[in-house]
Amino acid sequence: MRRASILLFVLLIAAAPLNAHHGRGATYDMKKKITLKGTVARVDWRNPHVVIFMDVKDETGKVVTWGFENAGVSQLAQEGYNRNTLKVGQEITAVVNPAANGAPTAIVVKVILADGSEIMSRERGQNPVD
Amino acid sequence: MRSRWTTLVFVLMMSLTASAQQGDKEKFKARYEALPSDANFDRHDLSGIWTQTKLDHSLGTPAPPLTPAGIAAMNGRIQDKPGVVGNAPWYTCNPMGFPRLMNDDEPMEFIITRDRILQVFQWEHRIRYLWTDGRALPSGENLENLGPAWYGHSVGKWEGDKLIVNTVGLEERAWLDNAGHPKSFHARIEETWERVDSSTLENQLTLYDPEYYTAPWVGSKKIYKRMPPDAITYFGWNGLFAGISEGICAPMNEVEGYNKGFRDIGTKPR
Repeated sequence: MRRASILLFVLLIAAAPLNAHHGRGATYDMKKKITLKGTVARVDWRNPHVVIFMDVKDETGKVVTWGFENAGVSQLAQEGYNRNTLKVGQEITAVVNPAANGAPTAIVVKVILADGSEIMSRERGQNPVD
Repeated sequence: MRSRWTTLVFVLMMSLTASAQQGDKEKFKARYEALPSDANFDRHDLSGIWTQTKLDHSLGTPAPPLTPAGIAAMNGRIQDKPGVVGNAPWYTCNPMGFPRLMNDDEPMEFIITRDRILQVFQWEHRIRYLWTDGRALPSGENLENLGPAWYGHSVGKWEGDKLIVNTVGLEERAWLDNAGHPKSFHARIEETWERVDSSTLENQLTLYDPEYYTAPWVGSKKIYKRMPPDAITYFGWNGLFAGISEGICAPMNEVEGYNKGFRDIGTKPR
């Protein structure tokens, strides 16, 4: 019974973050958060989910392009964001849940601008990735 | 014992996931719930842009038991679950169909005309026609000749302050909800709409489908709130150009761009 209780607790924690509206399955490791620092490479301002690509230097100095997904166009627009909120070449920090398979793809937690302000925060309901 | 625990874990996981989504939605509610009340509203004027107050992609109540034909119709439909990507038709940009689209997250607009009510949905940028000119609901040979439609054939009439809409001729390939519940071509869905105050609509659906279900499926009451007027002005609320914006599911975006170009990279074994 005690083992079952522990299992229940662990599964509840894992279950909390989001549902898979577009069939993500177990794509992301929602228990893991990583911080990416780099520059915006491309913004795909499209449905079903806005994807932001950023160039990040790894520990060897090699540039890896990461992509992280966000809410859809309408939902982000209702939160005051637009296609030019982030511009190519802009320095940003992105906190994300990375893909469980190790690919450089992720789902947004929040974006931090150079002045320290936080935008597109899923935690604060500004980026409702359903 | 193990299966009971498994069931409990599953139910709690689902409810916690739903509550996390609900938490996000709650933050948005303050915006439209702050609208001033108008005591002189017209109960028959449903016009405006409305959004559901809960993220609930289902009818909101448990399904009645399926008939053997219903079980056969649902066979092969895979619902999303941890580790499994489901095969819902909308993942490849097929229409959600009625009533699933009505239970989606994005707003919809009622446009009232002399002989019909148009329901415009943001997701899919879709229009439903609810005929209010007194025509009969298609049945018998007429319905068979019309054939199935993703959003069916709908007729509405007022009974007191309630708009009663009946829809028949629904496309069987469209899932009723995320679980993949079926509905037969000969099903009828009755929906009621009532404007209970100036900024609130109540809606309820009932599925009558004796081919696939052993009893009528009475859905829960859903609440819609009016979007603030500044949402529909030019570059008004947070820069939106218009109230209902383009939520089109384009295969070149969804299938080629998002699924193949992004999601699958993080989903497939490396």
